[in-house]
Amino acid sequence: MNDKTKSSPTGNDDQPAAYWNPYAAGVLLGATLLASFLILGAGLGASAGPARLGAFLEQCVLPDHVAQSDYFGAWVEPGKSLLSYYLVFMFGGVFVGGLLSAVLARRIQPGVERGKAFGAGPRLTLALLGGVLVGFASRMANGCTSGQALSGGAMLLNGSLVFMVCVFAGGYAAAWFFRRQWHD
Amino acid sequence: MIETYFGADQLGSPRAMVAALLIGLAFGFVLERAGFGSSRKLAGIFYFKDMTVLKVMFTAVITAMLGLSYAFALGWVSPDQVYALPTVYRAQVLGGLLFGLGFVMSGWCPGTGAVGAASGKLDAMVFLFGAVIGSVGFNELFGALRAMGLLPAAHESGVVGEPAEPQVAFGLPRTLFALIFTLIAVGAFHAAEWIERRTAGGGSQRGGPVLKAVSIAMVVFAVALFLIPAPAPSAAGAAGPSLGDLLQSIESAEDHLEPEELADRLMSGEPDLVVVDVRSPAEYAAFHLRGAIRVALPDLPAALESHKNRGVIVLYSNGMTHPAQARDALALLGFRNVYLLTDGLDGFVERCLKPVSLRNEPLSPQQAAKVRAWRAFFLGGSQPGPAPSPPPPPPEAAATAAAKAADRIPALVDPQWLAPRLNDPNVKIIDVRAQPKYNASHIPGAISLNPESVRGVVDGVPSMLLPADMLARHLSNMGIRPTDSVVIVHGNSPDDAELGNGLRDATLVGMALERVGHRTWSVLDGGFWRWASEGRPVTAELPKIQPVPYPVPSQPDAFTVDARFVAQRIGDPSTVILDVRPAEYYRGEKSDEARAGHIPGAVNRPFKQDLGQGEQFKPLDELEKAYQALIPSKSTLVIVHCRTGHQATQTFFLLRRLLGYAQVKWYDGGWTQWAAQSDLPVAK
Repeated sequence: MNDKTKSSPTGNDDQPAAYWNPYAAGVLLGATLLASFLILGAGLGASAGPARLGAFLEQCVLPDHVAQSDYFGAWVEPGKSLLSYYLVFMFGGVFVGGLLSAVLARRIQPGVERGKAFGAGPRLTLALLGGVLVGFASRMANGCTSGQALSGGAMLLNGSLVFMVCVFAGGYAAAWFFRRQWHD
Repeated sequence: MIETYFGADQLGSPRAMVAALLIGLAFGFVLERAGFGSSRKLAGIFYFKDMTVLKVMFTAVITAMLGLSYAFALGWVSPDQVYALPTVYRAQVLGGLLFGLGFVMSGWCPGTGAVGAASGKLDAMVFLFGAVIGSVGFNELFGALRAMGLLPAAHESGVVGEPAEPQVAFGLPRTLFALIFTLIAVGAFHAAEWIERRTAGGGSQRGGPVLKAVSIAMVVFAVALFLIPAPAPSAAGAAGPSLGDLLQSIESAEDHLEPEELADRLMSGEPDLVVVDVRSPAEYAAFHLRGAIRVALPDLPAALESHKNRGVIVLYSNGMTHPAQARDALALLGFRNVYLLTDGLDGFVERCLKPVSLRNEPLSPQQAAKVRAWRAFFLGGSQPGPAPSPPPPPPEAAATAAAKAADRIPALVDPQWLAPRLNDPNVKIIDVRAQPKYNASHIPGAISLNPESVRGVVDGVPSMLLPADMLARHLSNMGIRPTDSVVIVHGNSPDDAELGNGLRDATLVGMALERVGHRTWSVLDGGFWRWASEGRPVTAELPKIQPVPYPVPSQPDAFTVDARFVAQRIGDPSTVILDVRPAEYYRGEKSDEARAGHIPGAVNRPFKQDLGQGEQFKPLDELEKAYQALIPSKSTLVIVHCRTGHQATQTFFLLRRLLGYAQVKWYDGGWTQWAAQSDLPVAK
């Protein structure tokens, strides 16, 4: 769908750069993951970023509550910010790396991505609710598509492979209900 | 070998943060180039319109999986350097289903959401906001979810309840699973291409030649993985592990006891050895190592409190995992003398109890005899039924005393301990002070023994501990039976600086007992002087002695080593040669021998440095620290020596019996013998 440039924001002449071949992109993504294993000793992770941010924000309002809570409480270390965690930095890196690539590829496209026949309001509502579910489920499963599916899958961890299968099972089971948001 | 930030416990360091940031940068860049800054593209997989997600993700998983497999197989990095998420199926199934629902609703996941937000997508920003809310919501509901049983107690770190561990490859060999997984992926790529050709809106990103190249490369690498020889089971290999491997295992602080060594030590009835079976009562009842006690994991600290940092505690289960966790937990409680049985009971059965006839490798007649002896000891006789009570007594007369588990004799006893046992016929006292002092007054019942009488010229070397048969005759004349507990009493008041009759005399006589296999002996802490100064009873009356037979052990002792043994280990980083002579002798400034100096690579720790007042050891905590600085781990091979072997017995006793070093050897010949052999190297 790289040809869908209906909202080319950077000028009519500047077509966004083409996407990479998916298999080539996959090899590079795998190499990044391997580097993470060999340098950090841990795979990639993204969901810990928003989770830490949530814990940090909640701590700003209710510090005692967070320190005593069952889950976030285990993250609280005296004298150390909840954001001082390697996966928070990695999440920041993902954002910056994405920004860099999008700028270089002239692919900054402000707006709400949706089918023409679907309203921006409902689309944002679905994005919000989906986000809540994803944030919740990532904590429950102790990882998301990055930490569990990609990293755990590459380590052949049983639980991660099961997670991967369940993500697609859940997605395909519910796909029909949310199809309209992409209808043009 | 690569050391990762995780392996070095440095994931929280600023450098790791920078590394994570850079890796994230590459991650985000590739995601964007793959097209994952678009939710429409991401959601496309759920409508069979755009299979890019499958292609990119599966390619990445297989690439990293094969890379990691090679890194493990070629020994670039050890698996314990890479953090593996624990397997908690319930949480991962429920979480996966919910995640899939959220994914298809929003068209984003956390990583791609960040890239989408960077690309200016408002829906991605809203999605990330939702993810923050969802994370907070999880925290708030965590307790309730656990109460409802939706989350196992051991979520994430496995700190609570049943430990959660990573499980890999569904029990298949890693190489086989890797190949199957790769073939599934290549199949899925071609299926995805076919799907996209069928659906009109199809992906514009056809694989083309790249797909062909990637498919072939993946399969080739997955197959070639089978050709890499499995890394030699170095730590377990009895033949001779390489130095690097040994160092590695020492560095990773794996305090293991090899099955063969445990078998020998159990058979010899070593008194301060506690072997603990942590399996279920049923498994214990079915079979356990003779002499092992069963303790449930939660009860370990309480049950082992009396053995804390005294002697050696060995934990075993069928494998290694549970005892390792128990060992770590005990270490947190300050236990420093806990060891694991290498490869657990399974390894023990395989290496010690497997019949000679079933073995692939040929055994020497000595090895075969050893295996038969082990089998007779550990398999012979009926295992006790469901009553996991004290271990059955070993058959050897010399070892039966050790079986009195309830009355195990500590390495050092106080006058307070000895006083009520003066009339115990099973407790014998040996007084090693000079004859005139003994004649003047001694502990009632104590038998006098000149420590020099256990030494003599052996094979031309002076002052060597006598052979076992001669020592057994000594014991027999003193009326000491193999089952007796022996308390050795030395002399010297704190202000009595004269040579001799110190703690080392007691330990020298103890060495003689060790040589005949008599393990139930201890030293009276503070010696006669402390006994007398506490106003305890003394007498000048000589005891009546009834000679008894004392059997001669059939095998030589396992702790005495000769010059050849020592010479072979010079420069071996997994061995510490400990020279306990006074520093000026070590430095070669003083010498009573033809050559002055020390054995190359030997470390100096004068035996006197271990003593405080009145021929008593300094506080053990202090000594523990001092030796930690000299010896890498409790399982390191330590060779102690001095000039004639005398002073070294004190250090031997300290390391082996009080500090729990598992492999301490004694070079009896010492500098007297070494200096006289001009072909042996000397350093100054």
